Amino acid sequence: MNKQTLQNQLVLIGIVLLTLLISRFEFFNSERSFMFAILLLIIYILFQEVSNVKKNPDSIFLRTIPGLKAVEEAVGRSTEMGRPILYVPGIMDMNEVETVAGVIILGHVANMTAQYETSLDVPVSRSIVMQAAREACKESYLRQGRPELFNDDMVHYVTDEQFAYAAGVNGIMQRSKPAACMYMGKFYAESLLFAETGNGIGAIQIAGTASQAQIPFFVTACDYTLMGEEYFAASAYLSEKPELIGGVKAQDTFKIFLIFLIGLGFLARMLFDLDILSFNLVELIG
Amino acid sequence: MFLRRTIPIFIVGFFGAFTLFGWFIENESIKAFINDDATQWYDIIASFAIFLGALNLLKLQSLKVLKRQSGWQYSLIAILSFLYVFVIGFFMRGAFFVEISSIPSNPDPMINLVNETTALELNSSYFVDVNNENPFRIEVPFYTDSSADDFVAQLASLGVNSAVVPTPWGAHIQTSGGLFKWMFDNIFTPLSATMFALLAFFVASASYRAFKARNFEATLLLLAGIIIMIGRVPVGSLISSWFVMYLTVLGVGVVLSGLVRDRRIIFGWVLFGLLFVTILGMQMGWPIDKPTMFFLPALQEWIYMVPNVAGARAIMIGIGLGIIITSLRYIFGLEKSYIGDQ
Repeated sequence: MNKQTLQNQLVLIGIVLLTLLISRFEFFNSERSFMFAILLLIIYILFQEVSNVKKNPDSIFLRTIPGLKAVEEAVGRSTEMGRPILYVPGIMDMNEVETVAGVIILGHVANMTAQYETSLDVPVSRSIVMQAAREACKESYLRQGRPELFNDDMVHYVTDEQFAYAAGVNGIMQRSKPAACMYMGKFYAESLLFAETGNGIGAIQIAGTASQAQIPFFVTACDYTLMGEEYFAASAYLSEKPELIGGVKAQDTFKIFLIFLIGLGFLARMLFDLDILSFNLVELIG
Repeated sequence: MFLRRTIPIFIVGFFGAFTLFGWFIENESIKAFINDDATQWYDIIASFAIFLGALNLLKLQSLKVLKRQSGWQYSLIAILSFLYVFVIGFFMRGAFFVEISSIPSNPDPMINLVNETTALELNSSYFVDVNNENPFRIEVPFYTDSSADDFVAQLASLGVNSAVVPTPWGAHIQTSGGLFKWMFDNIFTPLSATMFALLAFFVASASYRAFKARNFEATLLLLAGIIIMIGRVPVGSLISSWFVMYLTVLGVGVVLSGLVRDRRIIFGWVLFGLLFVTILGMQMGWPIDKPTMFFLPALQEWIYMVPNVAGARAIMIGIGLGIIITSLRYIFGLEKSYIGDQ
């Protein structure tokens, strides 16, 4: 047994003991004990993977995500055609993790537009998102040594209202004919309005969202779509920072654990229904 | 650096961890903070931030009009609409009610005047118990104070005691018949509905592209789409499962013809398949819904509930994991890109 395995086993036992101990206190909601243990486990896996990647950055293979590869291609295409890039960071506010992820990816896109001297247009539907997106773009242009190319109005507010925003953005698309359209954030029914309009003007389109109901629309109408977890991995992929890549690895490690748990749950439930097992694991998990 | 980086990261970390671990703690104050206070704080900040957005919108649209850039006419409409909503939202109540506190012995002229002015259909029974303590409110508001005053004067000339009651500020934007609500119901809502209705056309054009049988996956999607669409309408339950079985045999024959060169094999398959289905049908008495797996309503239900749900759940689990890990990266300060640190 190597040192790492021993450490993992000790931490696992520690998590179980800590959860059992804390469940005895009155202030703790003991019905959520299992969730608490799982949360601690995820946190441990996250830090463990980040530490592993920091020690040996080459140990992780990050598969190519076509949608993210296409971002650079889209910026290049816009530069060649002399047309702007349209970036839509969703219609929700900064309290949605998808919007935050969208703003982070915007920072990376702005890095490229600063390098290639391509114009960037970011219509937003929330004022706080406008401020955050401006900061992200400004930092990118400063980092690329092109502050003169940045202007506040490249990120501009349209409206908070869903369909009014859709009408405004569609109008921008029809008038300025961007060569590339990127939709990264939380979307609802307006997703197809954007994607079909973008398709109609012949723009290369890249979408990224965790809004499950909108994924089919984006897949149909866009050239590339970052689905769910790919979208959250985008920041790590684009930044190539070990602590972020470690997060992606942690996600995959926990996914394996979940698959195991689903299999175990299935088996335990089957044995329970056949009266071979006396306790129901699904009930125990809560 | 300390103000622009360290403090924001600390705030995110502290409140993120507090909200996350607070979910496990049985304490009313913490619960109230997580469920209500934190959300309200955000709403308050967002409400103030709207001014930044509004000013930005006005600035850009005004510049467009002043510079006569392409599409400046739309910008002019945007500015005028903005000013209209701003004025009727902040400076005009747009909803003034008239309350009648006493009526003359012959109320008919008054009732006629009220009905003509407001398009209501009132009669004397509405005014039976009217007095100072129990005034009758005409439930159709006037847009301006002066028009309401004029109406009160007309009522006074008929011997009616009445007064203008303005709608309180704040409530005026939701008062039915008020100027703001009229704008919302008659301009904003139809425009939004128009945009939403466009979806029908976009769904049709997107479906046309998605359902083209370009490759194996697209053909699979096309078949699943056809089965679900037919299986979900009443005519689907009238199509016999034997008809579907015959179609399946012929369909497999078509697929085989692309893979196998020897026509005798294809002919053999089709002949064997048709005979098999016919003999089986004769044995079973041709029931319309048996075998169940070829009965379209049952088949569509299976496609919808099994492969579809399995795929959707797999994506959902991925999304959930992505959100958890991304949130933890923010809380523990591993990801700082959201404050511009790349």
